[in-house]
Amino acid sequence: MSGDATTGPAFSVSLSRAKAAAAGGDACAALSILFTALTAESDFVDQSRAARLLKSIDLAPLRLRRLRIALLAASTLEHFAPVLRLWLARMGFDAEVSVNPFDTATQAILDPASPLRAARPDIVWLFSTHRDIPLEAQPGDAVARVAAQVDQAIAARQTLWTTLLEQVGCTVIDNLVDCPADDPFGNLAGSAVWGRRAMLRRYNAELPVVAPAGIVLFDLDQVARTLGRTRWEDARFWYHSRHAFALDASGPVAHAAARLIAGARGLAKKCLVLDLDNTLWGGVIGDDGVAGIALGHGEEGEAYVALHRYVKALKERGIILAVCSKNEHETAASVFREHPDCLLRLEDFAVFTANWGNKADNIRDIAATLNIGLDSLVFVDDNPMERDLVRRHLPEVEVIDLPEACAGYVEAIARSGWFEAASFSAEDSARGRYYAENAQRAAVRNAYVDLPSYLRGLEMQGALGGADPFHLPRIAQLINKSNQFHLTGTRYSEAELKAIATMPECVVRHLRLSDKFGDNGLIASIVLRHQDRAMLVDTWVMSCRVLGRTVEEFIANDIRTMAQQRGCERVLGRYVRSSKNGLVEGLYERLGFTCVSRSGEMTEWAFDIGADVPAWTTWVQPVPTREGLAA
Amino acid sequence: MIERTEVMRRLTEVFQETFDDPGLELSDSMTAADVDEWDSLQHIVLVLAVEREFRIRLNPAEVGKLENVGRMIDLLQVKAGG
Repeated sequence: MSGDATTGPAFSVSLSRAKAAAAGGDACAALSILFTALTAESDFVDQSRAARLLKSIDLAPLRLRRLRIALLAASTLEHFAPVLRLWLARMGFDAEVSVNPFDTATQAILDPASPLRAARPDIVWLFSTHRDIPLEAQPGDAVARVAAQVDQAIAARQTLWTTLLEQVGCTVIDNLVDCPADDPFGNLAGSAVWGRRAMLRRYNAELPVVAPAGIVLFDLDQVARTLGRTRWEDARFWYHSRHAFALDASGPVAHAAARLIAGARGLAKKCLVLDLDNTLWGGVIGDDGVAGIALGHGEEGEAYVALHRYVKALKERGIILAVCSKNEHETAASVFREHPDCLLRLEDFAVFTANWGNKADNIRDIAATLNIGLDSLVFVDDNPMERDLVRRHLPEVEVIDLPEACAGYVEAIARSGWFEAASFSAEDSARGRYYAENAQRAAVRNAYVDLPSYLRGLEMQGALGGADPFHLPRIAQLINKSNQFHLTGTRYSEAELKAIATMPECVVRHLRLSDKFGDNGLIASIVLRHQDRAMLVDTWVMSCRVLGRTVEEFIANDIRTMAQQRGCERVLGRYVRSSKNGLVEGLYERLGFTCVSRSGEMTEWAFDIGADVPAWTTWVQPVPTREGLAA
Repeated sequence: MIERTEVMRRLTEVFQETFDDPGLELSDSMTAADVDEWDSLQHIVLVLAVEREFRIRLNPAEVGKLENVGRMIDLLQVKAGG
């Protein structure tokens, strides 16, 4: 067993402290203690004890995101389910994890009257493993027969996916399956086209090719390989109780899956905040100078270059970068300007903070400058004191512990999994540019004496459109990822949204915004529902990047136009409070709506639209939509 | 061979933590029916916790067939004694 003798007792002490905190009503402290002591690699006994404690804690005060997830498998996941719930809590979810009866996936999905179909979970996880994939081949079979077998197995998955997407409208997770460690053919099982392992790999390689939007593929095999196949398998528990993987692998699987689900549901982190001295290079720039720091040559220097490459790749896939360092600004900046081996450039960072102030204050400023929540930040610093300071003052910020040697830095950041994404769009790669352009806008803004002249000078152009196939994925992504400018917190999958767009009583709208500094991309999604003589704003999300530029007013005018075209007399709006959307609490009031009801977390607002009511003032000029054209 | 009382002491701790009951006391004649939460699900957690405490590997089915806690202690004495 992997649990070494010290994990048990040491963990028991932490568990008792967490229990005491929970008993005292401090759920937040209980979770904090729990997740300081427990790691993804902790053995199953510890995972299971932590999960049991979590079950006894009332999570309501933490205002976590509710999530219902159903596991469907032909193996036993009853021990895994609470561990998954545990790691989902770490990622900000109050999840309800149900396990469908053993090996009933196909009937549960295809039968319209099944309890699964009635329960309408947010996520259905088809937890397949290699044992579930029927690939029959004889030694020596030709490639055509092998390919036909793989196609057949994949067609069976596609039937399940399509039914779930169309009939249940949930997000679907399916597995890239693990490969068995042992095979009678040994090496040939992987090297011969008809080998079992070769066929499973073929199956795994084909799934991403055919998976439509809405299907999230979980790379179970990667978890198995990272762990090591001999630790992954425990045949005893397959024969005893149909456990498809070693129970000690529960933590790594749950951790990886929770990160992926967070990415799919908009709770992944957005910004990486980096220290400089002994974090991005070896040595202290103020003492050692540009020529004296370790970067580029030697084993340390090469490890730092590898870190630069990793961080730069994160930026290119849409993670915002920021610097938070105790340094003279010019001294720190000189490395990025002058050092020949420095891969990262000054312009890669949306915010570059180098001063002698305390890091908690600086990080708070960074979040404010970027207009993102503190809980979207991940902080990396080699200095344990700084990490501790940030943890104590800014508990919302995730802090990654770095190992002693810089060769382990990339692994520490990568294994944390904070930046896991379920999909990638062109918008993601452009995000860094959006934030850099925003910094330019801010500079221009300071040059203007009044706001209207600044806004006029931006020369903003808004292109409105509907749910056409080109924009649909981004409209859905925005609805599912936005937390702050999201009035109702509604989440719709791409499939659901596609269906909504075809309903006669519904209107799906989007807005693309550009200005003289560049294209902001698709920055707002709206779902309207026609009810008698009123138009209800079911969903209104907007990117916080464009806040305060009269874009809200521009959208309000569009909502009004949509309502008038359908003969409506009033527009109805809703605000449903969440832990993150306080930003828009006063939006309808500011737009002149009247509050018509208050109940619990929800307020409802109405606005009468007569011909004599003037339009909202906006500096955004309408331009024709570019339907079907890439940004 | 490891002392029977020593096995009993360590096993008691494992049971107390597994079933989250600090007052739980073991006796030789005790069976799964005597512990509320000792079902087939918790049985597996118990087996893994015992394996970890005594640094041994068990056969989960064999443990399931043991008559009572006394027999489990006998088995652990043999397995952990060597």
